[in-house]
Amino acid sequence: MNYTLSSLIFLPLLAALIVLLLPTRMQRGIKAVALGGTLLQLAVAVWLYLGFDGAAVANGQTGYQFVEKLDWIGFSLGSLGRFQIEYFVGVDGVSISMVLLTGIVGVIGAISSWNIVKNVKGYFLLYLLLMTSVMGCFLALDFFLFYLFFEFMLLPMYFLIGIWGGPKREYAALKFFIYTLIGSLFILVVMIGLYTSVIDPEATAQQMGLIGQNVPASLDMVRQVQQMLQQGAISEADMVRTFSIPAMMEPANFIPGSLLHVFSGVSLFDLPIRFVAFLLVLAGFLIKVPSVPVHTWLPDAHVEAPTPISVLLAAILLKVGGYGLIRIAYPVFPDAGAYFSTFVGGLGVLSIIYGALCALAMNDLKKLIAYSSVSHMGFVLLGLASLTNEGVNGAIYMMFSHGLISAMLFLVVGVIYDRAHDRMILNFRGLAKRMPAYTAFVVIAFFASLGLPGFSGFIAELLVLLGSFSAPEATGMLPRWMAIVAVIGLLLSAAYYLWALQRMFFGKYWIFPELRQKAIISDLTKREYLMLVPLAILAFVFGIFPHLLLDKTGMTVTGFTELVLRNGQQQLNILQTILTK
Amino acid sequence: MEEQAAQLTQAIDSILAGAGSLLPELLLAIFFLLLVTLDLFKSKTVKRLLPWVAMTGLFSVLVLLVLGPQGIDGVQFLNLLRSDGIARYTGILFSLTGIFTILLSLQNPKIEKRKQGEGRGEYYALILMLVLGLNLMSKSVNLLMVFLAIEVVSIASYILTLSLKEEKRAVEAGLKYVLYGTLSAGVMLYGMSFFYGLTGSLDYTLVSFWRSLLDASPLMVTVAAILVFAGFLFKISAAPFHFWTPDVYQGAPMPIVALFSTGPKMAGIIVIMRFVAAFADPTIVSAFADVQLFLGIAALATLAVGNFTALWQRSPRRLMAFSSVSHAGFLLMALLAFGSDYTVSILFYMTVLLFMNFGIFLFLQMAEEDWQVRTLEDFQGLGPRVPFAGIMALLFLLSLTGLPPLAGFMGKLLVFSNVWEAYTAYGQPMLLVLLVVGILLTGVALFYYIKIPYHLFLKRNQTAENLVISLSNKLLLVFFALPLLVLFFKPDLLLHWIEKLLA
Repeated sequence: MNYTLSSLIFLPLLAALIVLLLPTRMQRGIKAVALGGTLLQLAVAVWLYLGFDGAAVANGQTGYQFVEKLDWIGFSLGSLGRFQIEYFVGVDGVSISMVLLTGIVGVIGAISSWNIVKNVKGYFLLYLLLMTSVMGCFLALDFFLFYLFFEFMLLPMYFLIGIWGGPKREYAALKFFIYTLIGSLFILVVMIGLYTSVIDPEATAQQMGLIGQNVPASLDMVRQVQQMLQQGAISEADMVRTFSIPAMMEPANFIPGSLLHVFSGVSLFDLPIRFVAFLLVLAGFLIKVPSVPVHTWLPDAHVEAPTPISVLLAAILLKVGGYGLIRIAYPVFPDAGAYFSTFVGGLGVLSIIYGALCALAMNDLKKLIAYSSVSHMGFVLLGLASLTNEGVNGAIYMMFSHGLISAMLFLVVGVIYDRAHDRMILNFRGLAKRMPAYTAFVVIAFFASLGLPGFSGFIAELLVLLGSFSAPEATGMLPRWMAIVAVIGLLLSAAYYLWALQRMFFGKYWIFPELRQKAIISDLTKREYLMLVPLAILAFVFGIFPHLLLDKTGMTVTGFTELVLRNGQQQLNILQTILTK
Repeated sequence: MEEQAAQLTQAIDSILAGAGSLLPELLLAIFFLLLVTLDLFKSKTVKRLLPWVAMTGLFSVLVLLVLGPQGIDGVQFLNLLRSDGIARYTGILFSLTGIFTILLSLQNPKIEKRKQGEGRGEYYALILMLVLGLNLMSKSVNLLMVFLAIEVVSIASYILTLSLKEEKRAVEAGLKYVLYGTLSAGVMLYGMSFFYGLTGSLDYTLVSFWRSLLDASPLMVTVAAILVFAGFLFKISAAPFHFWTPDVYQGAPMPIVALFSTGPKMAGIIVIMRFVAAFADPTIVSAFADVQLFLGIAALATLAVGNFTALWQRSPRRLMAFSSVSHAGFLLMALLAFGSDYTVSILFYMTVLLFMNFGIFLFLQMAEEDWQVRTLEDFQGLGPRVPFAGIMALLFLLSLTGLPPLAGFMGKLLVFSNVWEAYTAYGQPMLLVLLVVGILLTGVALFYYIKIPYHLFLKRNQTAENLVISLSNKLLLVFFALPLLVLFFKPDLLLHWIEKLLA
């Protein structure tokens, strides 16, 4: 077996162990180890990206590459049959983009953490733990493993915000923790429901003695087991229940009579129980995305978090939400995904507009950017809900591009905050005169974010809008007004960025008198260049050569939309005939 | 006369035949007597040895249960006691409870100082007595025996609560506990007498017992059941019979609190489990579907009361009191699945509960005795001064909340999946409500459990010199924390073993 993915996940953990062993006063050593760990992770991520074959058929289990599958926990509960949890990781087109992004941002974050002074050892320990859990989340193909990493992300984040954050850090950290925990509890309900409903055909065949232990099942064997299952020819004790996400994606693996089976006919609140389950998962991931109206933890968390943590939060943690929707919510419940597409798209549009309007009203530059994140994440939802190839590709592209650009934006805010210990827009004027290089990067970041052609944000928005415009004909999803309203969001984003730019950077140099004593207004340092230049270049490269990413995601997305549309339509028909009876 | 004599010999024979399975209890009784006798000696060395004598007793019982031969499985002593895999496994848990209690007591300066002289023997002897009572509780299958076993535990508990009697709080707690306890015992006995009157028997394993209940007036049966369950629920501190919990937890010595939060609760759950096991009989289960509803409401109320009241607590002891109420609700919920397949999960959960509760109570004992912490605010800024203990406390609390990667999550996951399965099987909507409420209350639980780490690490304090923690305390913390990690990553090790014992 190939251990590339495991090394990707556990490299930061290894670095964390080294950090743990280093004495507290060796601050430079600790920083160097942390940076080295993230650099190695980036190197492996790039190697993986280069080695990933985007043209391979992305369908079912065969679509995952670099797969590692090990038995982890297995036990039988009497007549309930066997339960099986696996260490099951792999990459496809969706995860490869997120892995690359995580690698890049991890290094930038580590560099940006260089001027942390308080309890350096604790900080980098938590930082590396966070990197492990985020990477694990993007690579896990077993729901239990995914959930483990998903929940474990909260803890380091809670302390990183709560200990190293700004004045209201305790409140922001707690709010972040509670909000996202509630979200993951929704997901937990569904996870329990799913694994009591789904079997692993291969392991079941082994359990029944159809094939020997540790012998891989042929495709025919899998089909045969699935058929036997649906005919009720397998005894409860032989069924091997599984957390494997690919197994959950196949309707034929659902145990007849289980609640989440398409034919179960059980409804809750006048909705089929599968729809309720989808809505729970959706709610869980929407909190993470975040989408209006469950976004309120984000501005608080961003404003209070130290700069590197804001960067991580915006650039990769938010992506877990969108990623979860693509990985779990839609493929496992395609019927509900198709049924609720207007609802999800609507939330996307709402987030785009509401986020942009809030950003317009903010006086705090960091809050403005936090709300712009909400607005941009709305595009992810809209593209996903369209269920067209363009839309879903656009959603993934948006996640990637927003990861690069929002990292840049939060770094830029960090620069002015480090100098003036203030980031109120109205407290500054004409900064361009004193900080020309800084202003240049601000302009690049702002324009990249508002979707100027030539930057990655433009490609993402273009694809999403194309997808949602064509959706009514191509897939029958989304009303057309949604795409049109979303365009207004673009306009608004131009407005808040340009307005902020004009107020803070142009005109005569002036800063608020009370700030003058403490503020040392100087231009960028070498370390800041080191962070901003690569990000700017990447945003530009991925804006000019979109195929760098689309080649990798394309086949996976085609497989994804086909699966969701085909299964979704079939199952929707079944559900409707059962319920109308 | 002849006939009676024959009956008597038969009874004696049956008792003797069953005596082998009672070996752990006999051992405990012998060590109890030994401790009481040794306590008569005035010598300092003997006094110092007393806890170790008690520990030896518990440890030998533990070894006997873990390694000893599979005892005679079945009902003994004229259908009063039943020794089976469940009794054996819980016996192991109770021995561990006793050992942990003594370990905590040895680390408690107050108990150690106070108990150098008089009363030292009685303290450790009573712990043995309590463990003996717990073992009997988990074996009883007759209402009279249940009552007797519960009373053995209760009387030992009353005195142990008062073992630091110069503290005003302890006296108040002890008095309240005795008053509530005797009242609930009386109520339970009253209910049992109803059952006896209705069925002519106290042996609830007989099918005829339940048959005659089906024929009796439903009102009478309901009243009797409510009275009996009041007694059971009191013992596991479930709502609405939990009112004694916070006061007793505040007054009793910390090791005893840790004992209360685990041992009697587990035993009480086993008593209820054995009582409702009869419902698994398909002819009866339909008639008693209401019991599922009734217990479901009790579990729901307990979960809600425990979790929401804990939010408002400012003392760590009271917080843990309500936490233990909420865990009682959780165990009740696990019971509702009504079937032997679910026992494994319940026993697994109990094991996890044992380690995390003793862990956090050890931490609280350190905080109270060594760092003078009385309220949650007193924890402020302590974290950086006691980094190791703080991180361990974080582990225990997260496990109590039920977050990965700790065994508390695994326990909850198993229980939740059982409830989901039970809902699929029975279609009782109460189960789904419980499942969803139970899961969502985890969010509430985080809110109060995180308060301790919140004050420890997030709040700042001027003084920054490190506090010294004794090596024994450190080792104990690790000892309680390690199983929590191991049982998350490899729960099947324990699950397989439990399964083998139950088979």
